[in-house]
Amino acid sequence: MGRAQGSLTLRSLFLAAVLALQLASQTPDAKQSRVERGRQFLGLPPPPDPAAVERGAKVYAQNCAFCHGPKATGAEGPNLIRSTVVLHDEKGELIGPVVQNGRPDKGMPAFSGMTPAQVFDIAEFLHARVQEAANRSGYKILNVVTGDPKAGEAFFNAHCTSCHSAGGDLAGIASKYEPADLQAHFLYPDKAAPPVTITVTLQDGQVVSGTLKRQDDFNISMVDNSGTFHSWPVNSVKFEVKDPLEGHRKLLALYADSDMHNVLAYLVTLKSEPRPSGSVSK
Amino acid sequence: MRPALLLFASVAALFASLLSAQILDPAKLLSSPTDTWPTYNGDYSGQRFSPLKQINAENIGSLALKWMHRINVGAMRGVGGAQIKSTPLQVNGVLYFTIPDHVWAVDARTGEELWHYSWVDQGGHLLGNRGVGMYGNWLYFLSPDGWFISLDAKDGKERWKVHVADAKLQYFTTMAPLIVRNHVIVGVGGDAMDVPGFLEARDPETGALQWRWNTEPRPGEPGAETWPDKGAMEHGGGMTWMPGTYDPELNLLYWGTGNPNPVYAGQGRKGNNLWTCSIVALNPDTGKLVWYFQASPHDTHDLDNVETPILFDAHFDGKPHKMLAQAARNGFFFVLDRTNGKNLVTKPYIGTNWAQGVAANGEPIPNPKKDPQTDGTLLNMPGGGGTNWFPPSFNPETGLFYVNAEEGYSLAYLTDTDEKPQGYGGNGHTLYSKSVLKAIDYQTGEPRWTHEFPGKGLAQSGILNTAGKLLFSGDPSGNLIAWDPANGRILWHFHLSAPVTNGPTTYLLDGKQYLIAGAGDTLYCFALLR
Repeated sequence: MGRAQGSLTLRSLFLAAVLALQLASQTPDAKQSRVERGRQFLGLPPPPDPAAVERGAKVYAQNCAFCHGPKATGAEGPNLIRSTVVLHDEKGELIGPVVQNGRPDKGMPAFSGMTPAQVFDIAEFLHARVQEAANRSGYKILNVVTGDPKAGEAFFNAHCTSCHSAGGDLAGIASKYEPADLQAHFLYPDKAAPPVTITVTLQDGQVVSGTLKRQDDFNISMVDNSGTFHSWPVNSVKFEVKDPLEGHRKLLALYADSDMHNVLAYLVTLKSEPRPSGSVSK
Repeated sequence: MRPALLLFASVAALFASLLSAQILDPAKLLSSPTDTWPTYNGDYSGQRFSPLKQINAENIGSLALKWMHRINVGAMRGVGGAQIKSTPLQVNGVLYFTIPDHVWAVDARTGEELWHYSWVDQGGHLLGNRGVGMYGNWLYFLSPDGWFISLDAKDGKERWKVHVADAKLQYFTTMAPLIVRNHVIVGVGGDAMDVPGFLEARDPETGALQWRWNTEPRPGEPGAETWPDKGAMEHGGGMTWMPGTYDPELNLLYWGTGNPNPVYAGQGRKGNNLWTCSIVALNPDTGKLVWYFQASPHDTHDLDNVETPILFDAHFDGKPHKMLAQAARNGFFFVLDRTNGKNLVTKPYIGTNWAQGVAANGEPIPNPKKDPQTDGTLLNMPGGGGTNWFPPSFNPETGLFYVNAEEGYSLAYLTDTDEKPQGYGGNGHTLYSKSVLKAIDYQTGEPRWTHEFPGKGLAQSGILNTAGKLLFSGDPSGNLIAWDPANGRILWHFHLSAPVTNGPTTYLLDGKQYLIAGAGDTLYCFALLR
């Protein structure tokens, strides 16, 4: 009994870890590190100070938005996100003189009362707007739940139920993924799919089954059900590969955009049952 | 001999003797590559066809590894491990190759390092670098942050540098400069911040600007009617980040241009957006546009049209033609008459449901319903399109055009619904993709044969054809493979430490034919066993 409980706890821990990994792609931390990787890749300047950005947004809204637009993308005055001055500025040293002296020739008044601290805050706000526009790693997908759940359910029943069930493996799927992630996931769940399996028949008739490791035009390798690695030249054995994603690939050719949106609208209704409380310990 | 011809001949002879002291004889650029690989594509045609046949379909079984050269630069900002995407030049027994921020010269016979030039960048993307250009004794290199740098080929010492693109505006530079007589042609990349594209010719001795061609017209110029306003035009993208090709007889430079900006959000730039996503023919002495063909009018799917426009002369409809062919990233295979840009063939080689048809002039017509939408649009091509920068090849003996293509599906989202969107304004998300090597009949656009690569991953490798009846390229699993170009039968393979990441090349030294391929951080050299 004790041992059984022990193994049950281990399994729960394992499942919790798997769930945590699945959820990791949606956590704020994961988003932040994705944005940071994007920033490095693009060679963008260091991230602006969030507190200064917040202060700067207010100063900007009061003093600058009227001419340069609420998002700094331009109105009567020019777009500041694409401004060479803003893109070359590091901490207000180039933006400051323009703010304080204005550009009388172009109709921009001087904001001579602006303090250096306020200039710095405006600069940080503009730098943040630049990073939001330039760093596509941080773009947020907007509302994707636009379809008809009834039509989606009908499509699901017609095309998906040979492998999946709403009350079985997909119960609670909508609680595991944000809708935008769920859309990509249900179309092609390659990160969560079970492994590709292979059955190899050797020349002496022996059959070896397991998980496919690698396949190219010359060699095929696998790990059998006891955990042992095998590799053969492809022309020396007969083999059959079973990819659990085969059905998803066939469906990709079938979906109209409306089918895809309808299926998503249906899947987001599959929320999980409330979990029993009081069993989580630190 | 007539006096004019006599004069020409003596001037040519004098010119040749003056140049004989130079490492690279400019005449090498005008013939198919044999003892030299003097420019990115081997010659101006872009065919990547070598007339060498010492290594051939009969003796390929004894092709063996000769040397390896591994570069050790560690992880690179934002991209991880180094990848050799450059095509090495081979001139006078020395190979010159690059990765972002680095140039090496190595002994082409042994792989021994002769010199290493490194640059400390102040921004720009470290996504790739296609290699150096060479003129006489000088090399030309583009740094990620927009510096056009000339090196002395003998020791790698910097001669001078000029700034051609501003990394603070999110330009970055990766292309191998192309030398046409005394013009060094330099293109730029960068589509994160809605900057305009351009192509420049620069002086080989000083780096001074000779001409600049803008990929967008200016207000009032022809083509301006394909943009809604001045602002959209001035921020319209259209980068020139891959080396083009050149016809010395017609004196025309052929170049592919990149996607318009904002990339996925087209609502602020209604119209066809010339000359983005196009093939253009320019006069290399003036930079003036002679003709254009727009492969993706009003693109909203990041379908840069920079893939090599390959030049060849052959029969079409029974008549000799000067042609240009491209397997475009947008999934279409195009053949044009390169004297005037007139379309001869437009045929999909992978799924192209972003288009609803083909216009009378051969240009695809985009389907507005497949523009990126906020709730997602499903496309029957991978997020990166049907192919990308890795060099294709044309084999004049088989009449086939070879491309490593990608088939699959992707989602395209609009994330910026503002009437004046910024940057990418959306994104593309590959759901599934697989690599296929296609051998396309230029007369019909139909594949003569297709090789589907088993297993996972993508074959983002260039292709080389040789007169030895061999086609070399890489697979997704790290094999360098030789095919029979006529029928797609595999004749030879060698497993490398990584998939081939550049275009393989070949050359003859001391009467011995060598084969070179880059895979990840290592350059591999092969030759026949004796």
